[in-house]
Amino acid sequence: MFDYLHNFLFASALLACSVLTAEEGQREKLQSTIDAALDVIYSDCCSELTVEDKQAIVRERIEANYDLDVIIRRAIGRNWQLMKTSEQETVLELVKKLVLKAYVDGLEGKSRPEVTLGDVTTISDTRIEIISTINLDGKTYFVLYRLGRMASGWQIYDIVAENISVVSNYRQQIDDHFRKGNAAELIARLEELLQKNDINEDIHI
Amino acid sequence: MKTYTYSLLATSIVLCGLTLVVPLRAQDSYLSEEDIFNEEVDGAANVYDPLERVNRYTFAFNDFVYLNFLQPLADGYTALTPDPVEEGASKFFYNLKYPVRLVANLLQGRLNGAWVESGRFAINSTLGIAGVMTPADNFKDFAPIKPEDIGQALGAWGIGPGPYLVLPLLGPSNLRDLGGLIGDRSVNPMKEPFSLIDDWDWEWRLALTSSEFIVTSPTLLERYQQLKGSAIDPYSSLRNGYTQFRLGAIAE
Repeated sequence: MFDYLHNFLFASALLACSVLTAEEGQREKLQSTIDAALDVIYSDCCSELTVEDKQAIVRERIEANYDLDVIIRRAIGRNWQLMKTSEQETVLELVKKLVLKAYVDGLEGKSRPEVTLGDVTTISDTRIEIISTINLDGKTYFVLYRLGRMASGWQIYDIVAENISVVSNYRQQIDDHFRKGNAAELIARLEELLQKNDINEDIHI
Repeated sequence: MKTYTYSLLATSIVLCGLTLVVPLRAQDSYLSEEDIFNEEVDGAANVYDPLERVNRYTFAFNDFVYLNFLQPLADGYTALTPDPVEEGASKFFYNLKYPVRLVANLLQGRLNGAWVESGRFAINSTLGIAGVMTPADNFKDFAPIKPEDIGQALGAWGIGPGPYLVLPLLGPSNLRDLGGLIGDRSVNPMKEPFSLIDDWDWEWRLALTSSEFIVTSPTLLERYQQLKGSAIDPYSSLRNGYTQFRLGAIAE
């Protein structure tokens, strides 16, 4: 009886380890994606590139591992159904460009942030969270990555920076927009934002 | 020996079964598009904002002031001041607001937080030359902790946020945090007219308050621009960002 128990425990531990390793793999994948994206902005190899080129390469490197549509679709939420298919595609593309523009513009000219990923926290069979510590110019920030297992593999479905969820923030803006406006106006607004070189433009009511 | 062989055989069968079942289960168990895309998200989906119209005007006014007056001031300060001086000045003003953090910790019954803040204040004010440096970071028991304010204490007591407000010049807030702000000022030695600590002349307070304003503005403006920069609706983004940030701070 003791032997049976012993073997069973060994087998269970083996299985638990294999599941843990699969989740730990997500940590490595996320770290390499972050590093690859930061390399575009800070490595000597890319220093001659234009900001637009950098945005394109950052996108390429992120999309090699994650589907950006997931986090954007989640931010759009049920407003997705209020748009025609062509509008859905346009909004997806424009939001993607806007987020990448904000990412590259936000880091350009600053020193390279030091990103350290913490342990993987298992929320459920299909959800995990990975906390990261970011040291930038002597200040420390915490960013939480939420990943979900989808048919296409593990995907980032939210990023929470200093307690502010990116998805919740965009969801509220888009909800507010659709209470008064429509998809065409949203597209016009996104195109206007992408045209802006300087974010410090006055706000109009 | 026979028993062991049986048990090994049984375990092997269970193991084989599990290794077949687990991957199958793993493949079947994933989030659907409906789960992930249409799920209600945490945070501040429904911020009570009955004064939105007025708030939006105040927000636009603040934005104009920030960009046309505060930004040049912050840029000038950053350009003229070497980084270590900038950092030291920022730490000095943070240290000076110790009474706010102490009271906020005590109001929440966080005795350890009050102890750590007091220890840090004592060490940084003496060894750290009036808080310009933070030698307390090197003491294991006095490592930095997240700052508390009285608005957070009110939130921890279960007081709801009330209507969302945009205060002229000060920016996003709500009724509870406005009450907290008045409380903060009453225990902040630098703040007129509420401060209960009135040992200093008003000239000193004004000089310190103005300096603090200039020292803290680059960081505040940077955060403001991060939220505004990629926003479809900057007002909505700031309102949501502020509310989520405060919810998180209270929950911690």
